[in-house]
Amino acid sequence: MNEIVASPTIAQARAAGPRFGERMLSAGARCAIPVYVLLALGFLAPLFAVVAYSFATPRGFDVFRTFTLENYRQILDPANTVWMSFAWSLGLALLTVAILTLVAYPIAYGLARLFGRSAGLVSVLFVFPLFVSENIRLYGWVLFFIKGGVLDGTLKAMGLPGAPEFLFTPAATLFGMVYVYLPFMLFPMVLGLSMVPRDLIDAARDMGAGRLQIWHEVELPLAMPGILIGMLLTFVLAVGAVAESKVLGGQSVIVITQDIEIAFTYAQNWPFGSALAVILTLIVGVLTVLGIGRLDLDRILGRRS
Amino acid sequence: MNMQTKPVTDPSAAATRASILTLTNLVKTFGTYMAVDGIDLAVADGEFLTIVGPSGCGKTTLLRMLAGLELPTSGEIALRGQVINDLPPNRRPTCLVFQSLALFPHRSVGENIAFPMKMKGIAPEKRRARVEELMALMRLPAHYVDRNVMRCSGGERQRVALARAFAYDPEILFFDEPLSALDYKLRKELEKELKDIHKETGKTFIYITHSLEEAMVMSDRIAVMRSGRMLQVGTPEEIYTRPQSRFVAEFMGEVNVFPVRRAGDGMFDGTRIPGRFQVAGDPAAEGFIIVRPEAMRLVAPGETVENRIEARLYNSYSLGSRMQFRLNVGEDHLIVEQLRAGGPMPDLDREVSIGWDSRDAIFVEA
Amino acid sequence: MSLSPEARAERRSARFIALWTGFVVLAIYTPILCGFVASVNKGRYFRFPLAKTSMEWWQKTFDSIEIGMLVRTSLAMAGLVTVIAVVIAFFGALAYARYDWKGRRLYQKLVLLPIFFPQPVLGLALLLWFNALGMQMSWQTAVFAHLVWIVPVVTLVMAIQMYSFDAALEEAAFDLGASRLQVLREVTLPILWPGIWSGALFAFLLSWGNFPLSLYTTGPDTSVPEWLYAKMVAGYTPMVPALGSMATIAAAAVLLGMGLLARALRKRPAQ
Repeated sequence: MNEIVASPTIAQARAAGPRFGERMLSAGARCAIPVYVLLALGFLAPLFAVVAYSFATPRGFDVFRTFTLENYRQILDPANTVWMSFAWSLGLALLTVAILTLVAYPIAYGLARLFGRSAGLVSVLFVFPLFVSENIRLYGWVLFFIKGGVLDGTLKAMGLPGAPEFLFTPAATLFGMVYVYLPFMLFPMVLGLSMVPRDLIDAARDMGAGRLQIWHEVELPLAMPGILIGMLLTFVLAVGAVAESKVLGGQSVIVITQDIEIAFTYAQNWPFGSALAVILTLIVGVLTVLGIGRLDLDRILGRRS
Repeated sequence: MNMQTKPVTDPSAAATRASILTLTNLVKTFGTYMAVDGIDLAVADGEFLTIVGPSGCGKTTLLRMLAGLELPTSGEIALRGQVINDLPPNRRPTCLVFQSLALFPHRSVGENIAFPMKMKGIAPEKRRARVEELMALMRLPAHYVDRNVMRCSGGERQRVALARAFAYDPEILFFDEPLSALDYKLRKELEKELKDIHKETGKTFIYITHSLEEAMVMSDRIAVMRSGRMLQVGTPEEIYTRPQSRFVAEFMGEVNVFPVRRAGDGMFDGTRIPGRFQVAGDPAAEGFIIVRPEAMRLVAPGETVENRIEARLYNSYSLGSRMQFRLNVGEDHLIVEQLRAGGPMPDLDREVSIGWDSRDAIFVEA
Repeated sequence: MSLSPEARAERRSARFIALWTGFVVLAIYTPILCGFVASVNKGRYFRFPLAKTSMEWWQKTFDSIEIGMLVRTSLAMAGLVTVIAVVIAFFGALAYARYDWKGRRLYQKLVLLPIFFPQPVLGLALLLWFNALGMQMSWQTAVFAHLVWIVPVVTLVMAIQMYSFDAALEEAAFDLGASRLQVLREVTLPILWPGIWSGALFAFLLSWGNFPLSLYTTGPDTSVPEWLYAKMVAGYTPMVPALGSMATIAAAAVLLGMGLLARALRKRPAQ
């Protein structure tokens, strides 16, 4: 047993390199390297490329060799209606957030508080659609709302006049966004509401607070980080959404991402598309940095210590 | 807690036995924070040493350095004369029982206990035999072998953790407050059991806790730690009867402490509590008189005592066989404990006299 | 037994929440069911109620060589994404939740950025970047594009589980004589398996169903969602809902299979 402490072994151990406790210090940083490399090559560099392209000659591909503000000037040109696309995207995103807050809150409350053992199953039901491509799901709605589709056919079979025109309107686009982004609002909200200790609510009730007062004074402020993440995530994703307006909205409105896409594809004007993407990225980026800058992610994601 | 709890093994025996572990000016800093601030300590082979201190005093950091989980900033840890500062924990003949016990939740009781032997590459049959032996030693029922550890009770897990540590066959066992999560009754039981196991195995135990009461029951020697330093090391008897500082005395439990200053005639004047007091020995000019609650008593008006304080009886508390009284003196208060002697109970909110013999008081320098 | 008005109100709101949740779940699965109905239509053009049902479009889809290739492409992408994402995200999650290190707080936020970013724009940005590098697009470049989004998601999924991992277990194993490799094999990995599995599941299914990133980064190769989109926009055939339903059922089967497997493993005794 004692040979462990005999000096040759000690020498070997020393030669074997740094020890457990010592390695722990930098272990975290070393584990983060692959992720950082991926983010640098796959996120930062592409964004940088977009920025670089946005300063290139319009309709050209001579990135890094020319510098012009022409693309930005074009966007600001009053003759250009691209600002309408921005307005639609921002407006639809805001409405999506507002509607989803109302739609998701009761469900999030149920998942965090009421459903108990079945909460896991209900969560899976809400997660699963994420694994089905959104255009399949949106197309299902087309089949539902279209003339002669599921809704129309059912109503007519019941002797009613049939479904109103809904498809290919801005409202349908909004509907699609609310539908697609529901999980992105729901799960951060559940995380937020789960952070409110049950005892606090019981204590507030014990001290005479009514249901509305408990909600307003205790539950809402404590769940706010989660709710805000949900709103931010939904907004950011909805501002960049395009499938909804193409599939359900029938291009009745052109959203900003579609303008970017057109510039990249049909128009073959990459510098102009890049300039639009830079502006969109700035909107999204500023909001995100402000939104998640102050978050305590350890607390939200449930670190015990 | 009283004087009789502690069966002291001859303190001189511990001192003369060869020391197994020697710490020399051991220091650990985290950034600018000094967690362990220059500790010298010699641990005798086979002794049960308990390091006591409030949370944040550095005792866990000290223990983690001894186990090899933390690297000392400076100083030396020597095991039988060999410096082992850099030796990783899996090569040290020492084993730590964690506060959380750190039992492997995906393994059965038997697999947990066999773990260190599996790591050493001991044959399965040999492992099984040793597991049975250890389970018997720890008073674990043999059929628990295949039970999931997570399904064991708190006390059983404690025994599994201990068995696993012994399976490593360490020379020194470290304990990081493993009993702190248990309820009072079970804790008292396991404290004694641990001391019995110490006797049976003859290994060196180094135990840390914030409870001096726990330390008293089990230890051959106690080391009191505060802010990264050792304040006093001694037998439980010494720590209890001869605390060298106010902190050690107060850490022992409820005590009456009041500041005094030497007057011209060799007597001491209370600076907060009015009175003239005698102190045994030849103390410094300024300091604190420390009197345990059980050394103080309520005295009758005519009775003569060496030291006397007039106070107002505020409240009384029953401690089972004894009564405790709280007395107010100005803004301070004193605690007196005495046996429930029958006799009439003093009325509350009355002026009473309390007194004590000088030999029962302790004087520490300011 | 009479209830206080307070308790009655509580019960009412609980009932409302349950009903509302049920309604929303129903709504979520409505389009998926509609696709299923359309896929079993006998005719080429969809009219509800169906005049005649048949599985002929399923059969045609199943037999199509073109679709077989799409499925192979999508499977290859999802498989490769899963393997790479799990490895990177495993270490990523260790850095996220397991170790305390100096740059951790910042790292935790930077990891979120690709999730908080519109995927179509990310896809276009990657297209531009690959182009600037002079790379040929193919399903392999799309794998990289998927990773940019999926690795952060999988990192979060694994991190949530790693938060509850007691670091003392590793230390205890180390203290009990295990080498670093033994600690990993005997303690760390077995305990973290559930999180790794769910991370792999997310990686596979998210890649399988991804459309916006694939659209711009696959080049001449085509994944299942891309093909479906192209046919939706121009040239509808009932093979669209048929393939869509198949893809959905495949995803559900994978999810269910993994769920049952996990349950079976959990129920197994500790031996």
